[in-house]
Amino acid sequence: MTETSDTARFKPAPLGRITSGSVQLDAILGGGFPSNSINMLMGEPGSGKTILAETLIFANASADGRPILYLTTLSEPLEKVVRYLQQFSFYDDEKLMSGAIRYESLGEELAKNGISALVPKLREIIKTMSPKIIVIDSFKAIHDLSTSLPEMRQMLYEVSGLLTAYEVTAFFLGEYSEDQIPSYPEFAVADAMVELARKKQGTRDERYLRVLKLRGSNYQEGLHAFRITEDGLHVFPRLTSPDIPMRYTANNERLSTGVEGLDRIMQGGVWAAGATLLEGPTGAGKTTLALQFILEGLKRGESGLYVNFQENPTQLARSIESLGWNFDEARKKGLHLLYASPVELQIDSILVELFRTIKEHDIRRVVVDSIGDLIVAASDLNRLYSYLYALVQHFIARRVVCMMTLETTSAGVVPMEGQISALTDAILRLGVELDGGKARRTLQIVKARGTNHDLDVQELRITSRGVEVG
Amino acid sequence: MGALQVLLVERDPHVRELETHFLEQAGFAVNAAIDGQTALELAISLQPHVIVTEVLLGRVDGLALCRQLKSNPATKKIPVVVFSILAANMRAKEAGADAFLMKPLAKERLLGVIHTLVPSPGLASAQESR
Repeated sequence: MTETSDTARFKPAPLGRITSGSVQLDAILGGGFPSNSINMLMGEPGSGKTILAETLIFANASADGRPILYLTTLSEPLEKVVRYLQQFSFYDDEKLMSGAIRYESLGEELAKNGISALVPKLREIIKTMSPKIIVIDSFKAIHDLSTSLPEMRQMLYEVSGLLTAYEVTAFFLGEYSEDQIPSYPEFAVADAMVELARKKQGTRDERYLRVLKLRGSNYQEGLHAFRITEDGLHVFPRLTSPDIPMRYTANNERLSTGVEGLDRIMQGGVWAAGATLLEGPTGAGKTTLALQFILEGLKRGESGLYVNFQENPTQLARSIESLGWNFDEARKKGLHLLYASPVELQIDSILVELFRTIKEHDIRRVVVDSIGDLIVAASDLNRLYSYLYALVQHFIARRVVCMMTLETTSAGVVPMEGQISALTDAILRLGVELDGGKARRTLQIVKARGTNHDLDVQELRITSRGVEVG
Repeated sequence: MGALQVLLVERDPHVRELETHFLEQAGFAVNAAIDGQTALELAISLQPHVIVTEVLLGRVDGLALCRQLKSNPATKKIPVVVFSILAANMRAKEAGADAFLMKPLAKERLLGVIHTLVPSPGLASAQESR
């Protein structure tokens, strides 16, 4: 026996993972679903269980490997499942034609023999097809057919034993709710549980998924937003604080805001690792000042990202040109834009693109215009605070300087004022004062950590050269 | 010469049933035991071409079985595959096993390992007929 073959003969099999078909969901799951496990995908009708399962099977199917079997039960006819499947971009005729994915219905056998039909059927399937993945949709329909709890438990004991004996990963889909977990025995045999849910938010619905259980895995807890598009599930993991440890070392570098008078009263500009809030009413100059901050970076060879929920790209281009810049030239020098309509804004949905842009283009300056849109879009202000806190920490960890805008009401009320203040190193309050029939813009440094500043109200002017202060 | 004989030592009924099925499908004759002591007796009396054993067994565990098989002149030449839910690859090697396989069962992996230790049933028949 050679050393190589000897090593090969004693190599333990690694604990594998099955991709969910979504990079983001795989990250939430700590690398994907564990292979050779029993997984429950649960949620009300229309929550996206079937689409998740279908995304998953098409991502894992290969013509030269073991097949994947999708078993329908007594919920939807097989033809209906396959008909709707074809509208998704991940659908691939070849994977069905080659037998890499096989759809079968258990409906007739279940209707005839009840839940006792399942174990012999699974045994036959394993012996004849050796599938690597089995999906049962809906498993809840099987539960509903059971005539007693002991009968259900006996059947699950056999199913679990059979599926554990063979190298197969199973997904049981069902219209279960969280309160059924303690009393329904199928949850006791599950290695993983993922719940999909829908919540009404204003005039639209927001979708969330949540990992309720995942044996032996370090998964990301909490609600993770997702959307269903023609490409399947787009998952937006909940933002949590960065893994990179924060250091107790002072970074005394300051970055110019692009406004000479403001730099002067802020002792050189904003901190190079920190966040600044620009608050004020409409027309006070928040967006102009924020743009100027980004454009100043471009002059210094620092790429910038402008995240914007109000002005569409055309309107923003006009604003940039009004500051004496050619929009295309600004793009060439490293201006990146991330626009999301406030109507459809889901606060987690922008993060994947935001961090990808920061990483790919070595972004140094970011503007978020405005937090008010995030407040409106967020279903829960406590969750928004956690989100903003984590967002700022991610910026600091990546050495990105951030400027955020926030519109105040006519009464001067700032939603979440105290919490937002705690997140930022500096708060600049912009205002519009009426003096007789004449209006003038103002700027006041309300807070600037580590900076000797006064609280005097400065005059702010918007000219053809941009914002001027003092 | 008849079919090559495999002795399975496995207490889980599902694993035993599926292993038996895949091995018989591949042309092997299969005998099974559910504990180590019975397996030792069967190994001496049947002289199988290969033994596949789990570690977790009643009476005599799979590693002790392996050591006893390898120290008995009557059985020491029989290849032993330790096929276990435990990551006991190094302990299996120390016990004298010829190969280790981690559960769960996969038809291709099981047959692949067995074929490295004994000729395929078809090949054995062909050699015999020559």
